[in-house]
Amino acid sequence: MTHLTLKNISKEFGDATAVQDFNLDVEQGEFVSFLGPSGCGKTTTLRMVAGFEIPTRGTITINGVDVTNNAPNQRNVGMIFQAYALFPNMTVAQNIGFGLRIRKESESVIKDRVAEMLSLIHLESKADSYPYQLSGGQQQRVALGRALANQPQVLLLDEPLSALDAKIRVQLRSEIRAIQKKMGITAVFVTHDQEEALSISDRIVVMYEGKIEQVGSPFEVYNFPKTAFVANFVGTLNTASAEVVDPVKGILSMDGVKFVSAENLQDRKKGDAVKFSIRPERFSFASEIKKDNVLDCTIENITFLGSVVRIRVKIGNTKFNMDTFNNPFLELPKIGDKDQVTCSREAVLVLDD
Amino acid sequence: MRRSGVIWSWFWMILGILYFFLPLLATFLFSLRAELGHLGFKAYSNVFNDPGFQLKFPASVLWAVLTIIVAIVVFVPTAYWVRLKVPQFRSAVELITLLPFVIPAIVYVFGLVRTFSQPPLLIVDSPALLVAGYTMLSMPYMYRAIDTGLRAIDVQTLTEAAQSLGAGWGTILFRVIFPNIRVSILSGAFLSFAIVMGEYTLAQYLAKPAFAPYIALLIQNKAYEPAAATIISFALIWACMGIIQVIGGGEQGQITGGH
Repeated sequence: MTHLTLKNISKEFGDATAVQDFNLDVEQGEFVSFLGPSGCGKTTTLRMVAGFEIPTRGTITINGVDVTNNAPNQRNVGMIFQAYALFPNMTVAQNIGFGLRIRKESESVIKDRVAEMLSLIHLESKADSYPYQLSGGQQQRVALGRALANQPQVLLLDEPLSALDAKIRVQLRSEIRAIQKKMGITAVFVTHDQEEALSISDRIVVMYEGKIEQVGSPFEVYNFPKTAFVANFVGTLNTASAEVVDPVKGILSMDGVKFVSAENLQDRKKGDAVKFSIRPERFSFASEIKKDNVLDCTIENITFLGSVVRIRVKIGNTKFNMDTFNNPFLELPKIGDKDQVTCSREAVLVLDD
Repeated sequence: MRRSGVIWSWFWMILGILYFFLPLLATFLFSLRAELGHLGFKAYSNVFNDPGFQLKFPASVLWAVLTIIVAIVVFVPTAYWVRLKVPQFRSAVELITLLPFVIPAIVYVFGLVRTFSQPPLLIVDSPALLVAGYTMLSMPYMYRAIDTGLRAIDVQTLTEAAQSLGAGWGTILFRVIFPNIRVSILSGAFLSFAIVMGEYTLAQYLAKPAFAPYIALLIQNKAYEPAAATIISFALIWACMGIIQVIGGGEQGQITGGH
């Protein structure tokens, strides 16, 4: 059942358009991430859902009720901020109980609910601590507990993990996801970190210059990017220009080097210029597995990345990255070596214009 | 080099202390000489028993407290709103708050008298005009102290967090903003208190009982009593500020990030 709907949403600040014709339906209990670079309009869209910005055009409905022009305090939407935004003058328990006190709940209800939230965020022993006595991760967990205490209709998270160090970030995002699933709450998460979005979301909305580029599951967005922007932004990607040689067989030519793609090119003509992409991990040395595309290459560079070794190869006049798992018992090629790499025809993705 | 730096630091500090306390000490010693031949507190006794002092010192304390209350009620929401909604006007508002520094009090008081001594705003005899005048004079201190306090907290995010939890403007102001800038409000209140207690022109020309005109009158007629009154006022003002600190201070969460 659709829980949150954004219909034809646009937001203009003076002459600048921050968000343009944004349409999205979010199901009850779904976790949706807005992913994109700085200035793509993802935070503005989230702030419109929260009520901190009013759309120039379009409507926002939550649970069937039009809230487009409602004040933020009339939406029952929980929000978590990058800067934690805990009230410095209040203890952890007082922070969590703040919204319940605004609602004039009885003291016993507030006490029970605060205890429940403290247990949920594993901070029972910090009930009487002030925010400055907590670490960043603990503060953000309190912010989560505070937002959930009110049982909001939608939970909005505005880059909540950006200020935390890498290890805490990974741990906390798992906790957020687990709590969201447990409570069955609809969540919208804003991030510019693709790994974060891929790991936590049911669906990802990739945004660029105020518009939606692609909406899909993390699997779809990563493996089948619809546009050149999505292909480049989500994960590491090789993109190159080619021309269509045979639309029926899916054959492309890149500076005379032939690539075979599994994509349907029926709507293209022979000689059409296209862009195609190949993920670095889809390449392998031709000596290992025989695939459709066997390509002569020169080893240009080798970078050790821990679990992965990134090898820069030159195919024709174009340079590609190839990722291979780090195997200490396999000898790596040397820079300048001539070799052959291969990839399947499914790995060659032709991008929309 | 490092050692000489420390010596100079001490030198300037001691010089500053002497500059501040020597005149006070001299005034105090002079105030003890009211009786010929020996030191005593006769001048103090005279001041305390003077009906003028008994009327005018408490009156000034009352004006100061009312000024602080009005200044808080007016300047906290103003500074908050400017910072939150119209930050582009911050410089202009700051400039306005500095006007009492460039407009002489005598010009200001005649402006008040001319404006409010004729219908429809005939309130020149009301103590409200005096408090309003003092509020204007305290503006550079009070507004800037509040603005500095607001700068130390993330006003926008705290406001939005409170709004998302269902809070209206009143709740945000009284339960989130006020408690987090309490120290700044207190420091502004101290300065305003001292300004009002020592302000002469407004009270004199609006003909209201106040402590500064009382001391001025005392200086013209007595020798030792003005010195005693000065020392008394100094002690009482500090005592009043201590009371404000006790009432308005107390424990509160430190405003810093996580560790």
